[in-house]
Amino acid sequence: MRFHIYQVVISVISAIMIYQGVTNYIKGKNNPTLLKLLARIAVWGSMALITIFPNISNVAAKIIGIEGNINAVILIGFIFVFLMMFKLLSAIERLEQDLSIVTRNDALKRINEEEK
Amino acid sequence: MASQTESKIFVVIPAFNEERVIGDVINEIRNVGYRNIIVVDDGSSDETCRKAKEAGAISLKHKINRGKGAATKTGIEAAKLLGADIIVTMDGDGQHDPEDIQKLISPIVDKECDVVLGTRLLDPKGMPWHKIFANKIGNFFTWYLFGLWVTDSQSGFRAYSRHAAQVINTKADRYEYDSQVIREIYIYKLKFKEIPIAVRYTEYSMGKIQKQGIANGFKTLYKMVWSLLF
Repeated sequence: MRFHIYQVVISVISAIMIYQGVTNYIKGKNNPTLLKLLARIAVWGSMALITIFPNISNVAAKIIGIEGNINAVILIGFIFVFLMMFKLLSAIERLEQDLSIVTRNDALKRINEEEK
Repeated sequence: MASQTESKIFVVIPAFNEERVIGDVINEIRNVGYRNIIVVDDGSSDETCRKAKEAGAISLKHKINRGKGAATKTGIEAAKLLGADIIVTMDGDGQHDPEDIQKLISPIVDKECDVVLGTRLLDPKGMPWHKIFANKIGNFFTWYLFGLWVTDSQSGFRAYSRHAAQVINTKADRYEYDSQVIREIYIYKLKFKEIPIAVRYTEYSMGKIQKQGIANGFKTLYKMVWSLLF
């Protein structure tokens, strides 16, 4: 099996990213969760797999029912990007609401103290 | 006049960079007989908070800007803590006429309903055409998404009974707050009434850049849809 340079580069990057995720999870850095770790392994792992074994994308195309392995990869990529966007928007929304609650509690502090 | 009732009435004013007019707005409200005025300065960079305090209002301050909805909600929470029976919300730019407060609170005092919505569109005299058009679009989407038809879904001049203020608990922070309240009225089956109010569009109020524009309108719509989905 002959490797191209891009396959080596992407595999090394994927390995580093997965290694970082696992060590962060073990050390408890950056609020790690099992879901985050699994997502990281899924993303970088599948990228490395598709790079090293391009024929895997044919299997994905067959499963999804799309003609052409490249189209299947792009479709999966889009779905993943949309999922990430949704997750980010949900997180931002939650943070915005938390921020409003903290700001409100601070503004009401004086009244709360007076009422006690 | 407020003295006609024994109810404890609070007027809540969310304000952002309104130092030029907030004092006059408070004085006007006091002149028609309402003394319990809460101004929530929503992270203004000017002297809104100080001017409101000097004019005799209970002045609260958001350290950072969280939006009209968040400021209104803070004011309502404060009024509840201070034992309000009826809470009136109105804008801080002077576009609402305090003389209309009496019309708004009467149906609540008479126990006819829980919420009174001031509506500019039942008598839109003096209202710019683009505002009328934008409001109608807002009404349509509020009805389509939230299921309740009202003639002015974006009006900030409203009155709530204590019961309504306790039940309504929207998470909306910005301009979508007004529409979300309509949704809560529908969900909790609160009795409501629409009362025509006067609007005073001045050069000052029309010139404020943070008012609902087209971009903000789309943002509001997006937030309304988002709140329905998640």
